[in-house]
Amino acid sequence: MSTATTQNVGRITQVIGSTFDVEYAEDQLPAIYNAVKIVSDHKGVKINLTGEVQQHLGGGRVRCVALGSTDGLIRGQDCVDTGEPVKVPVGKATLGRVFNITGDTVDGRGPVDAEEYWPIHRDPPKLADLSTKTELFETGIKVIDLLTPFVRGGKAGLFGGAGLGKTVILTELIARIASAHGGYSVFAGVGERTREGTDLWHEMQDAKIGDTGRSVIDQTCMVFGQMNEPPGSRLRVALSALTMAEYFRDKTGADTLLFVDNIFRFSQAGSEVSALLGRMPSAVGYQPTLASEMGALQERIASTNKGAITSVQAVYVPADDPTDPAPATAFGQLDAFVYLERSISEKGIYPAVDPLASNSRILDPQYVGERHFKCARRVQTILQRYRELQDIIAILGVDELAEEDKLVVQRARRIERFLSQPFLVAEVFTGKPGEITPLAETIRSFEEICDGKWDHLPESAFLYVGVIEQAEAQWKKQQQKQ
Amino acid sequence: MPQSICHKLGRCPSHSLDSPMANPRLLDKRRKSIRNIRKITRTMELIATARFKKAMDRASAATAYTNRMTKLVQDLLASGLDVHHPLLEKREKVENVTLLVLTANRGLCGGFNGNLQRAGFHRWMELKQSIPNCKLEIVGKRGIAAFKFRGITPDATYSHFEDKPSFDEVDVIASRYLDEYITGKLDRLDVVYTKFQSIARQQVTIETLLPLGAIGADAAAATGKAAIEESKAPSGRNAIYEFLPSPDSILEEVVPASFKIKLFKCFLDSAVSEQIARMVAMKSATENAGDLIHTLSRQYNRARQGRITSELMDVIGGVEALS
Repeated sequence: MSTATTQNVGRITQVIGSTFDVEYAEDQLPAIYNAVKIVSDHKGVKINLTGEVQQHLGGGRVRCVALGSTDGLIRGQDCVDTGEPVKVPVGKATLGRVFNITGDTVDGRGPVDAEEYWPIHRDPPKLADLSTKTELFETGIKVIDLLTPFVRGGKAGLFGGAGLGKTVILTELIARIASAHGGYSVFAGVGERTREGTDLWHEMQDAKIGDTGRSVIDQTCMVFGQMNEPPGSRLRVALSALTMAEYFRDKTGADTLLFVDNIFRFSQAGSEVSALLGRMPSAVGYQPTLASEMGALQERIASTNKGAITSVQAVYVPADDPTDPAPATAFGQLDAFVYLERSISEKGIYPAVDPLASNSRILDPQYVGERHFKCARRVQTILQRYRELQDIIAILGVDELAEEDKLVVQRARRIERFLSQPFLVAEVFTGKPGEITPLAETIRSFEEICDGKWDHLPESAFLYVGVIEQAEAQWKKQQQKQ
Repeated sequence: MPQSICHKLGRCPSHSLDSPMANPRLLDKRRKSIRNIRKITRTMELIATARFKKAMDRASAATAYTNRMTKLVQDLLASGLDVHHPLLEKREKVENVTLLVLTANRGLCGGFNGNLQRAGFHRWMELKQSIPNCKLEIVGKRGIAAFKFRGITPDATYSHFEDKPSFDEVDVIASRYLDEYITGKLDRLDVVYTKFQSIARQQVTIETLLPLGAIGADAAAATGKAAIEESKAPSGRNAIYEFLPSPDSILEEVVPASFKIKLFKCFLDSAVSEQIARMVAMKSATENAGDLIHTLSRQYNRARQGRITSELMDVIGGVEALS
C-alpha cells in the first residue's frame, strides 16, 4: 500500500469495540472512506491495523471502523492517514490467489505481483453504460432452469434459513458454471465458515475447466472475510471482491462471475458497527442506512456494454422469516430469486427450492419463450392447488377430494419429488453422480408429467433423477431388487 | 420482484405454518375457518349417528327375514325333490351381464365411495374383457360422477335412493331384472356393495345375485361349518316339508321373492355402512380439525407475542438512542 510522502499522523483518542477515534490536526482531516494505518510494536504487541474513516466528529477527531482486530490498541498510538481509500490488487496477477479485505494474500504463497491497485469504493456504472441484453443463463439444475431462470449478466439470490443448503447450491453452481465458463470468476466469502472457504479453495484446485487441463482456480480469485473477522472486515470484503470483478469487466471485457456467500453477513456487519458509530437503530435493530448500504453494493454489481458480471449471492434468512429487513432489502435488487424452504428440506428433497415463492424476472414468454413459460406456469398451478388442498386433506382425508383434485394431488406429489436433483458436489455423500439436465429436456419432462404420461410410476421413482426417463429406469431397478 | 415479497406475506396455507413471524391476522382467519369446518363435521357426525341407528334397526329387522328366506330356498333345493326353476339354474353360456354398483349420494364418508368405485371399476374391466354384452348400472350420485370421470357411461343410473331405501323402490328394479333374466336378456347379475358385518366391520363385496343358485351355494360356503352340518341335516328333515298344492307352485312364489329380498338387503346394508363410514370419517375429521386449531393457536400466539416484542424493542431502542 502506497503511503503519502508527507505523512499525516494522528493519535488514537478512544477505542470502542471495533471502532476507534483518531485526532488529527484540524486542517489535515482525512477524507471520509480514507484508509488509516496503525503499525506499532508496543511492549511486544505487534499491531498492523487498517481502519476506514466513517465520521468527522468535530474538533479534529474522526471515527474509524477497524478492518482488523482492535486487540492491543492503546490510546495515544500513532495513526497514519494513507490519503486514499483501501486499495486492492486487480488484474490477471490476482487469479488463482486468495486475499483478505485489504488485498493481502492469505494463501501462504507470498505477496501478489500486481500492476494495478484499485480503491474499493467506486461509483456504480453510469445509466447509459448499462447493458440491456437479456439472455437466459442455463445451469443444468431442473428447478432453477424451469422456474427461476438465471439471467446472463444478471443477479441471482439464494435465500434460505440456517442449514437449508445455500452454500451447497452455491458451490454446485460454481462447479457447474465456472468449470464450463471461459471468463473469470471471483468468489467473496463474507462472514461464513472459514472451513467452507478452505474446502472450496481445494475443490477449485482439483476441478478442471472443460478439457483444457487447467484448474478452475487459475481463472478465479477469492476474497475472504469470514466469521472470525471483525465487523469492519465483513462489511467491506464484498467491496474488495467486487472491485476485482469490476476490473475484469471494465479492462478485459470478459464475462465475469461473482459469487457472494453470504450477503446477509454484510448487512449484519453493518448493524454491528452502526450503533458504535452512534446511529439510531431502526426496525428490528438494523442500521437506519440498511437500504442505502445494500443499494450502494448491489448497484455496482452490474453488466455494462464493455462486459458482464453475472452474480450469484447467498442470502441468509434469519429465523426463516423473509420479511426480516435484511433479506427484504436484498429481494428487490435481484433478477432471479430462489427461496429455500424448510418444509421441503424436511421432506428430504434437495435442492429445497420453494417452487411457488421463488421467481425470476425473465420467466416471461418474451424472454424464455412461450413453451417454457407455459410449462412453468402449469407446474406452479398444480403445486399451488395442492397447497390449497392441504388443509382439506389434513382434516377430511384424501378420499373426500373430487376426482380432478385427486389427480392434481397425485401429480403435484410427483412434481415435488421430480424437482430434486443429484448434485455434482454431493456425489461423495449420496453416491449418486450429479446430473446436468439440459433445459429442453427439463421442459419436456415436466410437460409429460403434467400431461399424465408418467402417472403409473410410483412417487419414489421421481426422487433424485435427471430427465424423466431416468425415473422410469430407477423404478425398474427398484422392482428388480424386490 | 416486490410482488414476490407480498406473495410471501399474503401466502396462506403451508407457508404461514413454518415461518414463526407469520402474519397473525392470517393465522387467525385460517383458524376461524377451520373452527367452522369443525362445527360442520361435528354436526355431521351427530346426524350420521342418529341415522345410523335407524338404518341399523331396519337392516337387522330385514336380516332375520332374509336369512329365513334364503334357508327356505336352500332347504327346498336340498329336499331331494326334483325342483326346477329358471332362476336357480346356472346358464351354460353367459353372454349378457349386468353390473350394479351401489354407492352413496353424498360424500364426506371417508373411503366409502372410493372403495366401491375401485372395486366396481375393476370388476367392470374384468367383465368387459371376458363377456361380450355388459351393462353397467349405478346407484348413487358419487358413483355416477366417478365413472363419468373415468370416461365410462353407465347404462342406467339411480340417484333417488336416500338413506331409507324402501322395498317398493327396490322392487321396481328387481322385477325388471327378473323379467330380463327369464326372457334371456340377462344371464348374470353382479352387485357391488358394502356388506354390513358388524358396527366395526363393513366390507366391499361383489355378489352374484342371479342366477339365484349361485348365492345358495355361496351362502352355504360362507356360513361355514354350521351351515354344512345343517345342509347335511335336511336329509333327515325332508319329512318336515309337505308341499301343497305342489312344490313347483311354491317355488314359483318363493324364489323370486327371495331374490327381491336379497337385493333389498344389499341396499339396506349399503345404507347402514354409509352412515357408519360417515360417522367414523366425521369423528376423525373433527379430531383432526381440533389438532390443527391447536397448532394454529400456538402459532398465532407466538406470532402475536413476537410482533409485540419486536415493536417494544424498536420503541425502547429508539428511546435509548435518543437519550
